[in-house]
Amino acid sequence: MPPRVAICAVAQSKYVRDRWQDRVQGMCWEVVQHVVRATGVDLAGEDVGAVVSNSDDFFDCRTISDSAITDVVGAHFKCEEKVAQDGAQAVYYGYANVASGSSDVVLVAGHSKESQVGDRNLITHAAFDPFYTRPVGLDYLAAAALQADAFLRRFGITDADLARLVCQQRAKAARNPLANERTPLSPADVAASPMLADPLREAYVYPPSDGAVAMILASEDRARHLTDKPVWITGLGSSIDSFFLGDRDLSESASLRQAAGRAYRMANIGQPRTAFDVCELSDPYAHQLPLWAWQLGLTEDPRQWLSGDLARFNPSGGSLAGTPQVVSGLARTAEAVLQLRNEAGERQIPGAKRALAHGTTGPAGQQHCVVVLET
Amino acid sequence: MPPKPLSEELIHREHMARFPQRWSTGPVMGKFLKALRDEKRIMANVCPRCGRSQVPPREVCAVCRVAATQFEEVGPAGTLRNFDVVYYASPDPVTGQSREVPYATAYVELDGAKGGATFWHELHETDMTKLRRGLRVRAVFEEDGKRTGAITDIKYFEIIEGEA
Amino acid sequence: MPRKTRPVAIVGVGQTRHSSHREDVNQPELIHEAVRRAIDDAGVSLDDIDAVVTGNMEMFEGTHQPDMWQVLGNGAWGKPCLRVSTGGTTGATVFGAADNLVASGLHDVVLAIGFEKQQEGHTTGGITAMADPLWARHLQTGALTGMAALEVIDEFGHERARRAAMRYRVIMDQHAAKNPNAHRRFNLSFDMIDDLMQKSPPLVGELRLIHMCSQSDGAGAMIFASAERAAAINRRPPVWVQDHVTVHREETLSLSGVPTYDAHGKLETTTQRRAAEILFARNGIARPSEEIDVFEMYDPSAWWGLSWIRDFLLLEGDEHLQMVERGDIAIEGRFPINPSGGVTATNPIGATALLRPLEAALQIRGDAGAHQVPRTVRKALASGFGGTLWTVLMLLSKEKPDA
Repeated sequence: MPPRVAICAVAQSKYVRDRWQDRVQGMCWEVVQHVVRATGVDLAGEDVGAVVSNSDDFFDCRTISDSAITDVVGAHFKCEEKVAQDGAQAVYYGYANVASGSSDVVLVAGHSKESQVGDRNLITHAAFDPFYTRPVGLDYLAAAALQADAFLRRFGITDADLARLVCQQRAKAARNPLANERTPLSPADVAASPMLADPLREAYVYPPSDGAVAMILASEDRARHLTDKPVWITGLGSSIDSFFLGDRDLSESASLRQAAGRAYRMANIGQPRTAFDVCELSDPYAHQLPLWAWQLGLTEDPRQWLSGDLARFNPSGGSLAGTPQVVSGLARTAEAVLQLRNEAGERQIPGAKRALAHGTTGPAGQQHCVVVLET
Repeated sequence: MPPKPLSEELIHREHMARFPQRWSTGPVMGKFLKALRDEKRIMANVCPRCGRSQVPPREVCAVCRVAATQFEEVGPAGTLRNFDVVYYASPDPVTGQSREVPYATAYVELDGAKGGATFWHELHETDMTKLRRGLRVRAVFEEDGKRTGAITDIKYFEIIEGEA
Repeated sequence: MPRKTRPVAIVGVGQTRHSSHREDVNQPELIHEAVRRAIDDAGVSLDDIDAVVTGNMEMFEGTHQPDMWQVLGNGAWGKPCLRVSTGGTTGATVFGAADNLVASGLHDVVLAIGFEKQQEGHTTGGITAMADPLWARHLQTGALTGMAALEVIDEFGHERARRAAMRYRVIMDQHAAKNPNAHRRFNLSFDMIDDLMQKSPPLVGELRLIHMCSQSDGAGAMIFASAERAAAINRRPPVWVQDHVTVHREETLSLSGVPTYDAHGKLETTTQRRAAEILFARNGIARPSEEIDVFEMYDPSAWWGLSWIRDFLLLEGDEHLQMVERGDIAIEGRFPINPSGGVTATNPIGATALLRPLEAALQIRGDAGAHQVPRTVRKALASGFGGTLWTVLMLLSKEKPDA
């Protein structure tokens, strides 16, 4: 039987638009130090068996972007492996490291500074294939806009509906001291927000963000020594959709349904709608919160969902408030862990015992990773 | 450059990508670069636990996994510990430029550096047969008014004639 | 022995013919070739694959998050797909990740893919971009350095060192001549050594063009399975993943030759030697040059290949030079190294560190054809190299390890 795996400590830097004061090394060191102190592990000794890092060579403009942070994650003469996708995949792989018997304790560390590149759309534009999709000028913003158009149209969700959602989510971010964009918004503010790519207004798109996240994962034996509030990873699921946007029905997400199904099966969850006290979903674009919630089986009707009680959905303000896309799933997982440890301060959902965290990679959510966490 | 003619069936697309970057120095590298620019001094930081130097200074001592917060001046002279004579014109991905070949690069153990730390920079010498490990070398700085807070504020290292 | 949760076997492998220009295929198509061959080799279908792990160094081809596009050719559609990337060691990290994923119980059958299309970018420029932009990127010349050669020359003398490195290179080329998938084959022979030593154009110091690794387009794929699935699949004899160790080094490239010390004041060694010490100690291997039957080493240059024999086999003095001078490392020798021809012959960087255990697996199965070592291969060693002189060391076994 593989050992149970727990998250023993998490740390996030305060997300900002421009962390010009530090290199990625300094930003990453801050969160690594925090989890090291919280668990008492000795980075210079044998306590931590491996590091799973999470960064992106293009966003860092550095080949082997993990070599930049080798020193600060304590990987000198140690094992470090970089997950080059959204950070929820680093949680998945960190889990595999421990459950395989390879390492009892794993440090997961993700970082990204979107402020480094002049325009992040230049980076995501390069994710399109050089022959068909790059020459027409696609980037992840345009892809998300195409998706938003299809989804909103399908359910009759209006610009005003989305504006109301954004105001609600921004109010949550105001209670999260780590959130990037915390100023409350009114529907009038949103209506005045310029259209970036129809139907996505600037207020519907996450602000460029800099940040780092660290976690300590451990086997059951070790977890009990590192924390008195272990959060167990009980479900994991991931899946990837086809690449060309035209091959997909953008108004839904087959790969998210598959990923969710896998995670729920592993966690023995029969009814996702009532299973989770908190859901932290990666929503860099506002329309993706209802879309993901629906495809995760958390609601049957995304339009109706918008007028319901959304308290337990992204109480942190979500990725929309501003989390770098490379570490988004890692950040959402960290927030979910804080909730289950009853350490979420003003944004705490009382009595949270089981949470869902989610990350996504690729254009319009081509790939998804779903994490189920429990106390 | 026009695509090379291939068999008629193959399509070949060329593309040059450019990504403008603004890199932060952070306080540690920033201190080092400012000292180059404003004072013509080479600063290393020292690990409070093992005492080794790092030059350029970095946030953390990789060996001890602690922040290295003390700074000490090292150089400007030092001992050549290893070197490369480069015949292949490698392009700098930041500027797109290549140096004229041959040129030499060097690992210099700067005077005052502890724990075997070496500094990597260009070594200016036209007679490559002179190069051997153990030579004494010194940093040559860019003139006042031309230093910008970049690693190239040190133009290169040169052999100190007459010192074995 | 490592406390692996459950044993993991390799049940199928596939690779492309590696080449300087595969302009007839794009990234997904190149990958598809290797995947198709691995699937056929295992006798399975895509439906049998539970998850995919892939890796490459995307700065070379200039496509961001390339696994998104590659889904068109890698079989990952509708499946979990993990991308890991660690520079030159990527293929070995992919190997380790696949092993971890199956051992963990998360998946029973995992497809591991490594690939690169070096010709779609500028290899040296792409590697140079790993250097810190503030103080090293203006200086690094990709993976080219003559400092490794200088170390060997200083220790063993100008003539002997250069001759041994060239001898190593010739042996590698002779192996490549027997490998139909190898990229470069120059038909070198020992009587050319003097000439090559003089005439091969120097790149950096005594690192000459002939010593240096290839720049190739190519892909490799391996299928990992749990013991139960391996028994059911059973088209080719399973090869067991006994162990793997990853040892990284700090951010700065440490080529100065000046001794440095760890936190306990102990002399820091190379990651090659440290990985070997850890791997052999925990697998009860006391005399690696006798107990290992074949070694597929990631040798980015003939100089490093020569030098690291001593580190990997925990030898001392000039034993490694003697091994090369005696021809021990030839296919028919006492300790064959790189029967595939190694990295100087073939180097699609994202695949290279996966091709090492792939070739080692073929040796264990007795399937390497003309470049098969003429002995029963029970234990095979494979290494990956990259980053700031990082090592991944992998141990494969013919016999199933005890749980």
